[in-house]
Amino acid sequence: MELREDTGPLRRRTIALFLSGFAIFGLLHLRLADLQLVHGVEWRNLAENNRLRRLPLLGSRGWIYDRRGRVLAENKPSWDLLLFPNETEKVDETSVFLATIGVTDVSTFRERLAERRIGRMAPLVIGENLSWNQVAAVRSRQSDYPELTVVSGFRRHYPFGELTSHAIGYLRPVSKTSVEADPSIEPDTMVGATGVEAAEDAFVAGTDGERWVMVSAAGRQLGLVNEVDPKPGRDLGVSLDIDLQRVAAEALGDRSGSVVAIDPRNGAVRVLHSSPTFDPTVFGGRLSRSDWKALQDDPLHPLQNRSLQGVYPPGSTIKPFLALAGLAEGLIDPRTTVFCNGYVVLYGHRFRCWRRGGHGFVDLEASLAESCDVYYYLLGQRLGIDGIARWLRFFGFGERTGLDPVFEARGLIGTPEWSREIRGTPWYPGETVSVSIGQGPLLATVLQIARGYSLLANGGRPITPHLVPQAIGEMTEAIVDGGHLEEVTAALEAVVHGPKGTARRFTAIPMAGKTGTAQVARLQDGVDAEDLAPHLRHHAWFVGWAPLDEPRLVVAAIVEHGGDGGSVAAPVVAEVVKAALGLELNTEGGAQVSPAEELIRQPPANDQNEGIAR
Amino acid sequence: MENRIDAWLILAVVSILGGSLTTLHSVSRVVGSNLWLRQLLWGIVGLLVLWLLSRVRLDVYERLAPLLYGAGLVALLAVLVLGVARGGNRAWIAIGPLTIQPSEFARLATILMAAAWLANREGQNLRIHEVLIAVALVGAPVILIALEPDLGVGLTYLPILVAMLWLGGLPRSVWLILIVLALISANATWRYVLKPYQKERVLTVFQPEHDPYGAGYQVRQSKIAVGSGGVGGQGLGQGSQSQLRFLPAQHTDFAFAVWAEATGFLGTTLLLLAYALLVGRVSNVALTAESRHGLVLAGLIGAWMIFQIIVNLGMVLGWLPTTGVTLPLFSYGGSSLISTCAALGVVQAVWRHRLVNL
Repeated sequence: MELREDTGPLRRRTIALFLSGFAIFGLLHLRLADLQLVHGVEWRNLAENNRLRRLPLLGSRGWIYDRRGRVLAENKPSWDLLLFPNETEKVDETSVFLATIGVTDVSTFRERLAERRIGRMAPLVIGENLSWNQVAAVRSRQSDYPELTVVSGFRRHYPFGELTSHAIGYLRPVSKTSVEADPSIEPDTMVGATGVEAAEDAFVAGTDGERWVMVSAAGRQLGLVNEVDPKPGRDLGVSLDIDLQRVAAEALGDRSGSVVAIDPRNGAVRVLHSSPTFDPTVFGGRLSRSDWKALQDDPLHPLQNRSLQGVYPPGSTIKPFLALAGLAEGLIDPRTTVFCNGYVVLYGHRFRCWRRGGHGFVDLEASLAESCDVYYYLLGQRLGIDGIARWLRFFGFGERTGLDPVFEARGLIGTPEWSREIRGTPWYPGETVSVSIGQGPLLATVLQIARGYSLLANGGRPITPHLVPQAIGEMTEAIVDGGHLEEVTAALEAVVHGPKGTARRFTAIPMAGKTGTAQVARLQDGVDAEDLAPHLRHHAWFVGWAPLDEPRLVVAAIVEHGGDGGSVAAPVVAEVVKAALGLELNTEGGAQVSPAEELIRQPPANDQNEGIAR
Repeated sequence: MENRIDAWLILAVVSILGGSLTTLHSVSRVVGSNLWLRQLLWGIVGLLVLWLLSRVRLDVYERLAPLLYGAGLVALLAVLVLGVARGGNRAWIAIGPLTIQPSEFARLATILMAAAWLANREGQNLRIHEVLIAVALVGAPVILIALEPDLGVGLTYLPILVAMLWLGGLPRSVWLILIVLALISANATWRYVLKPYQKERVLTVFQPEHDPYGAGYQVRQSKIAVGSGGVGGQGLGQGSQSQLRFLPAQHTDFAFAVWAEATGFLGTTLLLLAYALLVGRVSNVALTAESRHGLVLAGLIGAWMIFQIIVNLGMVLGWLPTTGVTLPLFSYGGSSLISTCAALGVVQAVWRHRLVNL
């Protein structure tokens, strides 16, 4: 044992160290016995009454205003009914109770319950916009149905209803896939589905908060554990003018079609109307889907936004752009005339002008003012389909305008390549002739037409239509020769103010424009357009701007199957233009003048009377 | 040579690991389904490490101690510069898919260093400069960990210092002075160092019902979970406290509460017996060691484990404030599990070489 080191005091201290450790272990065991054996039942009761709830606090969406500050979208307070699925024990009784007080029916309730995945702490919105009686009914039976809680929430409200449902859009519940992709999203959040609500969702949407509360077994709140405040979204002003929008809607009436008005100076969209329209509050909630189904199945497709999603043959409204192309390429001279005898034979086919007897000798101005087809059949021949396609793309056709990144249609510019690759048939030379007057495989949206005419009205500068004011960028340069543009705009003034203009009955209104009548079905010889079945009748177009010097508004209108552009679509545009000019006079002359200024301006009453008397 | 490895100690380790895996599995719906599988993997790695380290000769530990201690300090410095932040603490280093917590491993290096130093000094009691050396040895890594900041792990270095002073020996008068100093520094810490929320946690120990839904929430929920386990428990995966997420940190700090809720007094007694067996075997190794070095090594490791068990259980049972000290071998965490197994491997090395004459 001599090798053994002297560990005597060390051993004594080590023994003391471990013994004190065991002593404390013993104390801890006594504590366990106290908690689990002596008071176990009491703690068990506490555990059973212990309910922790997570209440989502939804951040309110920002309001949306039109250009004059009128509310287009707002939030109304709403009593909502929440259900905590993991606390629901008697599903049948609860569903019957809810059906009895009229909050929801049994099948909707079961569907809602089934679609929610298990294990989530998020409550289910089971009723919205409850009446006082319903709130009272739930509150009075709270102890029977502790899984139900009435909370105050928001409901989106659109004061102008159907008038703005396409432009502003509506809300829908957030999709399941986005909730699965981002767990921080509340499953019952409402997000923008279409229009401004969707495009500017990130801007107007609030940030959700949450509140953790302890509740008793009877559903009574005992205390607050933690709270994260929600943040409201930002308010948004859009360029829409609700007065003009209403005039456009009334002028169009219940006919299917669309009216788009743009300020050609900056691209601000003033009117974006699509008819038929629908009540956006149908989508105001998370529950009912029945009305939506009816809208979807409607043969008139009210859910389609015809301003951006509807593609139509542009008809004669395309002619000014072909004229500009012809001038730029040096293929036509403004003074050179073409003789129109009512038709022209090309590739062995007879292509008719809309006027049976022909227009006689036609120069550039007359070709637009009287909308001669033969002039453009021949111009199209010289441009060739590739030239036409190149120039139409130059003017912004065949691509989205950039107003709405998701829902906008591109339209179509048919070319031989497109025909081979997409359509799978060869290009017929006759199709080039049709495209020359805006027919055949050439489709545009109303918005594209309005954008194209903005370029004509503002001196040749391309603009990007927008509803939400953009950061002011640099003024775009004119892309068209000024002299050529003057020839075309003068001709478009002659459409309204010329002696033979196709819209000469609106000569009292200081506007320029172009009519268009787009064939839906080829007219057989001897058949009159009025005899066609309603769904085969022509689309009526009119695009105009006003006033003549320094235009402030471009208005494009289409009336589906309306017939003649000059007599059907032009009145719609005329109404909007009249209202716009009248409105601007009002705001500039009357409403904005302060009473003090008015007193100064008016001469003394006595003097005036005396003057008249003399 | 008989008794190459202490079968009782291995039994204790495997039982505690089994309880840990069962607990993690029962709350996989709450904390994530792959945690128990990862813990199983770490457990296997840990047992391998235990076996490997038990085969190393004691004099190797003695000679390598300064090197390992230095490496530990470098790693702690590195974590401050390169570390990955998780929940406010910059305590992890990422190496490929693994994140390692160097403060867990630096503790064992500190123990090896402390034991090597303590075993080689002469005399009955520590002298003043030796006390300062002991404080500096433990203080250096603690300061680096405090900068991360990781209060829970930093606290686990405290028993190493206290055990060093205790085993090294101090006159009673010095102990008195130390206790007075500790009280003064505790007062200063309370006044100038602790943040308001930390003060709240300490206060709730003395007034459990003061703020049951705020600062006292975690401890209250933990006590409810433990108490509602009763005699035989509510069954694995059945406890409402854990399944409905009332309990915080179910896989780490409050893992014992989940076990207590599920298995009741019978289960907690079994687990406590396993820990008693574990600590008992370590004390047995310390008391049968042939060398001062072996004894001090086992003693320091034992003191650390006793401290961590007591502080964690004290917190779960509502006697101590919540500090983030985990329960060794039971709380989820690879670094903690492997460093604990490594320390037990060193204890086994002492056991294995008790009959070897150097």
